[in-house]
Amino acid sequence: MTDVDVVVVGGGATGSGVLRDLAMRGLRVLLVERADFGSGTSGRYHGLLHSGGRYVVSDPVSARDCARENAVLQRIAPHCLELTGGYFVATPDDPDDYLEGFPSACADAGVRTEEVPLRELFAAEPLINRRIRAAYEVRDASMEPWELIDANHASAREHGSDAWRYQALVGVERGPDGSVAGVRLEDRRTGEQRGVSCQVIVNAAGAWAGQVAALAGATLHMSPGKGSMLIMNRRLTSAVVNRLAQPGDGDIIVPVHTVSILGTTDVTVDDPDDVRVTADEVDALLADGDRLVPGLSSARVLRSYAGCRPLYDAGEIEASDTAHHAQSREISRAHHVIDHGARDGVPGLFSIVGGKLTTYRLMAEQTSDRVCVSLGIEAPCRTADELLPGPPGARPYWLGGRLAAVEADGGGDADLVCECEIVTNSMLRHALEERPDSSIDDLRRSTRLGMGPCQGAFCTCRAAALLAERADAGQRPPEAPEPNDSLRAFLAERLRGAAPIAWGDQLMELWLEAGVYRGTMAVDTLPAGEDMAPTDAVG
Amino acid sequence: MPSADVVVIGAGLAGLTAAIELAERGATVQLVAKGMAATHWAHGGLDVAAPPGARSPANGVARLKARGGHPYAILEPDLGPALSATFARLAEMGLAYRGDLRTALRFFPTPIGGLRPAAIVPVGQAPALEPWSPGEGLLLLGIERFRDFWPPYAARNLARQVWNPGPSRIESAAAALPGILELRNLNSLVLARRFDDPSWRAAAVAALRATIPGKGRWRIAVPAVLGLERHADVLAEAGDALGHPVFEIPTLPPSIPGLRLFEALRARATAVGVRVQIGFEVAGVERDGDTITAVATHAAARPLRISTRDVVLGTGGIGGGGLRGRRDGALEEPILGLPVAAPGSAEWLGGDLYGAGGVALESAGIRVDDQLRPVDPGGGVVLRNVRVVGSALAGMRYLAERCGDGVALASGYRAARLIAGEASNPSAAEAPGPARTAVAS
Repeated sequence: MTDVDVVVVGGGATGSGVLRDLAMRGLRVLLVERADFGSGTSGRYHGLLHSGGRYVVSDPVSARDCARENAVLQRIAPHCLELTGGYFVATPDDPDDYLEGFPSACADAGVRTEEVPLRELFAAEPLINRRIRAAYEVRDASMEPWELIDANHASAREHGSDAWRYQALVGVERGPDGSVAGVRLEDRRTGEQRGVSCQVIVNAAGAWAGQVAALAGATLHMSPGKGSMLIMNRRLTSAVVNRLAQPGDGDIIVPVHTVSILGTTDVTVDDPDDVRVTADEVDALLADGDRLVPGLSSARVLRSYAGCRPLYDAGEIEASDTAHHAQSREISRAHHVIDHGARDGVPGLFSIVGGKLTTYRLMAEQTSDRVCVSLGIEAPCRTADELLPGPPGARPYWLGGRLAAVEADGGGDADLVCECEIVTNSMLRHALEERPDSSIDDLRRSTRLGMGPCQGAFCTCRAAALLAERADAGQRPPEAPEPNDSLRAFLAERLRGAAPIAWGDQLMELWLEAGVYRGTMAVDTLPAGEDMAPTDAVG
Repeated sequence: MPSADVVVIGAGLAGLTAAIELAERGATVQLVAKGMAATHWAHGGLDVAAPPGARSPANGVARLKARGGHPYAILEPDLGPALSATFARLAEMGLAYRGDLRTALRFFPTPIGGLRPAAIVPVGQAPALEPWSPGEGLLLLGIERFRDFWPPYAARNLARQVWNPGPSRIESAAAALPGILELRNLNSLVLARRFDDPSWRAAAVAALRATIPGKGRWRIAVPAVLGLERHADVLAEAGDALGHPVFEIPTLPPSIPGLRLFEALRARATAVGVRVQIGFEVAGVERDGDTITAVATHAAARPLRISTRDVVLGTGGIGGGGLRGRRDGALEEPILGLPVAAPGSAEWLGGDLYGAGGVALESAGIRVDDQLRPVDPGGGVVLRNVRVVGSALAGMRYLAERCGDGVALASGYRAARLIAGEASNPSAAEAPGPARTAVAS
């Protein structure tokens, strides 16, 4: 039995932020994640570090939080960001009153903005709709979630804490007074169970927080909001482009590395694992995308994906606690820290729900404050002051950065495994040294392998061969997936994202890929499972 | 105004075969193609038919034909002569193939250690299909720094394959070839061009030889990079020097065996007088009722209009661009706007794209009559002087059935004979039943 002070459930940005925060305050913390780190909502958002402008009208408190955290993250996590800048633009379809109210709402919420002459906008963004009537510049940026999560974990490790992945929470141990005493975990790859004792559980499971709370005997009504996005095959704009309208479908384009993300729909779903992108959503996103970049809908779409916002039904919680009447119900995007001690009779259980990736650090700080009060610890939060660990001389991402690094490198380690995303041999080997149990999909999150235009047509078998080579050298831990299983799973995963947008060039790409993997490689004939005995047919 | 007896659109196996057969019969032929063909992606063998359970290509064809709706239902009589003619012209261009319709399908090892059924392959791949004799081992011999061939991965999978009878032992090794270690991102094409150079080749073969484990009888598998233009020389030298039978395993694109096949046929086409224009997209066609009278291409300065009597459409399937999925869920034929038979878009990817059975959309294509003329859903001929050849044809699933090359050769051959007036009703004698029905029902 491992003993820690706090177990954090959920390896997204928020949980990872809590892990770092509490570790820096001197607590012994263990983060557990049921899949890979950042494979839930944090890895399935549009990649935007909000300026706050999105919320100045609808939710000024969130806007102010975003603006402040934007500045904090630009300081503490430069290597996780690309400082794209952003615009809020009024298309002919957007309402006049929103446009008119925007500057003063920004001023009120502390969001820095400046009107941009249209001539300058059109020069900077040649593909943008020429019928745009007004534009404001904001401090939007794009943010790499996996690097951010990784940096939080690295910081936590420096302070003696750790994070485990592929560990599902299957039970919560409670003391005689009902308080939290420990957790039971199950390794989702080996089925092995183990216990960890702790005084506090932080439920940072996001859209899955209701399930975690239920295991501890508490009730939490989440209302997962599915947001679907499309990846366009190149950068259609250099800066983030938002619409001057109430948040709605297809209202943003975010340049992320070599592609653009077009977002986002909002559909309430029952099951946060239900992240299928529907044809209606694709149509809505493309139709609205055309309003920002005319002709966008006939450009090549590489992939679709969706994530579930960790929205919760605030009214319901309030109603159960304080008997507010039903009209006060609202689904809030703001974040809330919930102490389940008084509320549900589970002392030591805290949930952090709602919020957005931009404010993950603030959410972690507020959660950690509550945890520290409950444990009688007075150490202050230092996460806004200390830089997150990063590469030496960390600087924001720039489009030519990877290429420049590869050019400066030499030898076989600089050979590209994934041409689209410029992922080298040494990047993959380094990722595997850090986490030897990685699948190809895990490597994708560490390195962006297979995320470019060919969607893994070339790099999948190269990566599988590398995994096999390590397995032969005895470097594959027993819980790691078998290389063939990993290859098949990755092809299937890439296909899931391609299926809703399988037309035109991307359908052709799928056919060429199927031609290579079935026609030339006969992937369908690969043996399954490491432990299958060699057949006596050979020899 | 330029004119041709026949305009062939598409430079894959089907289009090139039709063009060559027509030119050899004295027709003036203009071949236009937007780009390179799917040969550059494929393994360079000739897949005629290997549906599950098939024992030989002929047996596979019989199975596919029996299922109905398959292009072989009308093309089967053309297959033998088409293959013979192809073998002869490839041999003449220095690219020999082995195997025929009666050759047993055997397992060909792939670079990741899969096993695919094959029977008709270029001579450089042929030793892979010889029966394994007792005591004979398979040595997977790779090249250091070459990213697209993985002997250890292949070896660990092949050792667990049901491959009966297979090699008695499987080992892997890698050779450091001279002067390439400082290159970046080595691909098949760079290596193949190096092998064309006789002095480099001698040193490279010596390095390969030095890597062979000391004892025992081996059959040696190397990546398919043994020369592009001087392949026959490279193959002969490697076989002599290594002292064991050697064969090539085709790997990720660009496929060197595919390039050799394409280059041999293109050279042959040029030699028999076909005007070959690659890199020229068709800009439009002119019609007179149900007849195409001219094809226009995007030439360098202005559209080039070629008047013609007959058209052969060999633009490929979805992978080749001959069929194009639209966002609204329709599948279209982009050049002539021919009717396409396809499942509803909700079923397109039903099945397993990476599994043996594939997905529903793979059988989509253009339905034709026994003259290879496109027909509408009612069976009526849409364009009287257009013949559809190759992977654009409906009713075949070239990955699941491994039949794409056979259909391409047979349909190209038949289209040429029809246009030349040699086969006005060719299948009537062979198959009186379905003679006048559309290929796909």
